Amino acid sequence: MTTKHEWDISRRRLLQAAGAAALSAPFIGRPVWAQGKPVKIGVILPTSGVLAAPGQASLRGVELGAKLLSEKAGMPVEFVYADTESVPENGRVAAERLIQDGCTLLIGAWDTGATISAAQAAEQAKVPILVNIASAPQITEQGFTQLFRNFPPATTLVYNAVARIKDLFAHTGVQPKTAVLLHVNDTFGKGVTGGINALWDKLDVPIEIVDQISYDLRARDLSVEVAKAKATGADLLMPVTRVNDAILIVREMVRQNYNPMGIIGPGSPGPYEKAFTDATGKYGDQYMVSVPWYDPTRDLTKQTIASFNKEYPNERFELNVGFSYEAVEIAVDALSRAQSGEPAAIHDALKTTDLKDHVMYGGPIVFNEKGQNPNIGGVMLQNQDSEPLVIGPQEIAVAEPIFPMTPFQDR
Amino acid sequence: MTRTLPLAASAAALLVFGFAPLALSPYWLSLLTIIFFYVCVGQAWNLMMGYTGILSLGNSLFLGLGGYVTAVLASRYGVVPWIGLPLGALVGAAMGVVIAWLGFRFSVRGVYFALLTIAFAEFFRLLFDNWDYVGGAGGVFLPSLGPDESILLHLRGSGLLFYYAFLVLAAAVTAISALLVNGRHGFFWRAIREDEEAARALGVRARSMKILVVAISGAMTAVAGGLFGLMNGSLFPDSMLGMGMSIEIIIAPIIGGLGTLVGPIVGAFFVVPVTEIANDVGQHVGIFGLNTFVYGVMVFLVIVFLPEGIWPRLRRLATRRQRPDETDGGSDA
Repeated sequence: MTTKHEWDISRRRLLQAAGAAALSAPFIGRPVWAQGKPVKIGVILPTSGVLAAPGQASLRGVELGAKLLSEKAGMPVEFVYADTESVPENGRVAAERLIQDGCTLLIGAWDTGATISAAQAAEQAKVPILVNIASAPQITEQGFTQLFRNFPPATTLVYNAVARIKDLFAHTGVQPKTAVLLHVNDTFGKGVTGGINALWDKLDVPIEIVDQISYDLRARDLSVEVAKAKATGADLLMPVTRVNDAILIVREMVRQNYNPMGIIGPGSPGPYEKAFTDATGKYGDQYMVSVPWYDPTRDLTKQTIASFNKEYPNERFELNVGFSYEAVEIAVDALSRAQSGEPAAIHDALKTTDLKDHVMYGGPIVFNEKGQNPNIGGVMLQNQDSEPLVIGPQEIAVAEPIFPMTPFQDR
Repeated sequence: MTRTLPLAASAAALLVFGFAPLALSPYWLSLLTIIFFYVCVGQAWNLMMGYTGILSLGNSLFLGLGGYVTAVLASRYGVVPWIGLPLGALVGAAMGVVIAWLGFRFSVRGVYFALLTIAFAEFFRLLFDNWDYVGGAGGVFLPSLGPDESILLHLRGSGLLFYYAFLVLAAAVTAISALLVNGRHGFFWRAIREDEEAARALGVRARSMKILVVAISGAMTAVAGGLFGLMNGSLFPDSMLGMGMSIEIIIAPIIGGLGTLVGPIVGAFFVVPVTEIANDVGQHVGIFGLNTFVYGVMVFLVIVFLPEGIWPRLRRLATRRQRPDETDGGSDA
């Protein structure tokens, strides 16, 4: 009973449908970014609260990365930010908010507590999270499948630090015999101290640690602790600090005229920050720390630092900035290979990361089965004329070490 | 009528929140979870301060103890939270008894009792900071579950699980509080709050009743702390036992309305979203610390214009529109 007329209509409709399908085909099943919407990367950092200073430094690193690198992703990218207010428990809510906002990759969350908290939300939503800074070994030992960390765990941090300390004495030919460890009693300080205790003898360091003195993160006066350290008569003072306590320690050392052969912070943050060198001036000079740092000899690093100095003339490109910038390098690299904004595709791309040209010192960025990059290097820095300069390893050193240090009263 | 209305309202609220996950994203569920958490700890504190007039500024101690007992047992010995949480509650209650007995035995009252609770909380914070058995300042970390391990048995896993866990706990804590404050204990506690000497003269065993309320508050807060630790996956002395947490615990009931059962609920539903909005505003504007300022201003406005709390004002407005002599009675004494 089918008539020609009816067939004509159906055919016309069929043609119309085919035409419509042909026109809409590019949009059907294509990822969000291909429809003109950017891929969203969520960034979780403690930009207010007690960790605001390093959190904001990290933010500058991400913002610089967003500005310089976004185009390399090969698709529109948008960065969305969330503040944990330095409260560890806020990591989860921040991650969930960003995921709800449409973020398919997260970067953060600086401190261990917030990172673990955020990682749980990421794990549930199957959205990859790239840990820029947070050193607790447990982060990659919790069994998270979506987590990738481009920052050394405390054990690696200490391993690299001890290697650099041994290099230093081999290079200068001056060998201290004893050391006293002065450390902040927080997650980080405990982790590094535990690492030193575990590795010191194993790595055959010919220096005896004669005492270990801890203090509260919120301590406003470290005169007693510094006096106790001085009383040990140890050749070396090894402080594991944040920035404010590092300033307190130096001021107290000057006041007590405490002049050991050297001050070396094994794996310690703080003394390379601008706040430290501004506050301590010449007395902060010759303070050494062994930390993961940028490779000052690479052209890419030089260009990046030049751009940073132009963008933030009153700030310093340091560890927090560098690793956060590098997180963007990794994210962009993964997106360029995934060519998709889908979390699973980004996850797959992150797993096969092999980024050779990057700003921080170390080998190619790769992630092992636990999501840890094992190729992060460590350098020895020494403040000279209020600038943290690499004095080791020799292959990337830009200055000669000053050791033993000049007594404070002779500066 | 005065008893059926609150019951019907509670049942309706439970029904709505029970089905809310069908309509809400994980983020909103997460916010509601935090709200329910503050309902739990707020109700517990409200029993002490709102109904009995005992000022504690150290309730984070109970929270931390409950959290640590549950987490340490789980992470070190594989003890499931179904055992860890009640044990945490027992420890919280026992600590409440110790503090209350010490305080009330020597007639430590008012702000002096508050100082005592702060001293205990700070002592335990410092103790835990330096006690390697509980991870010290480095904290306790709970490993994520393996594929063969039961989520329900170990109470670990998705945000949805904790949403329901805190919903049930908030409902239970509120129901227990309602039973207590509407029973003999509630009348004794209120009598002590109004005039302890007069209550004693009438035969109320004031010290026992005060010790009891601190113990109950401690147990409730400890269970919430246990679940809170399980949800976060890591615990640190500073965030669990610190003064900051103690202050956060008391804000919701103060803003919502002290000495009422609905107050801590209304307060939590006000404070948590305001915090989130303030955070969002600060982030979008890009001014660091603006979130804290916005939050502070909003809390300040509530305190200035609604000094008795949000719920008592709402209740008064509602009752005025009904009959001048009608009150909501019963459940919200």
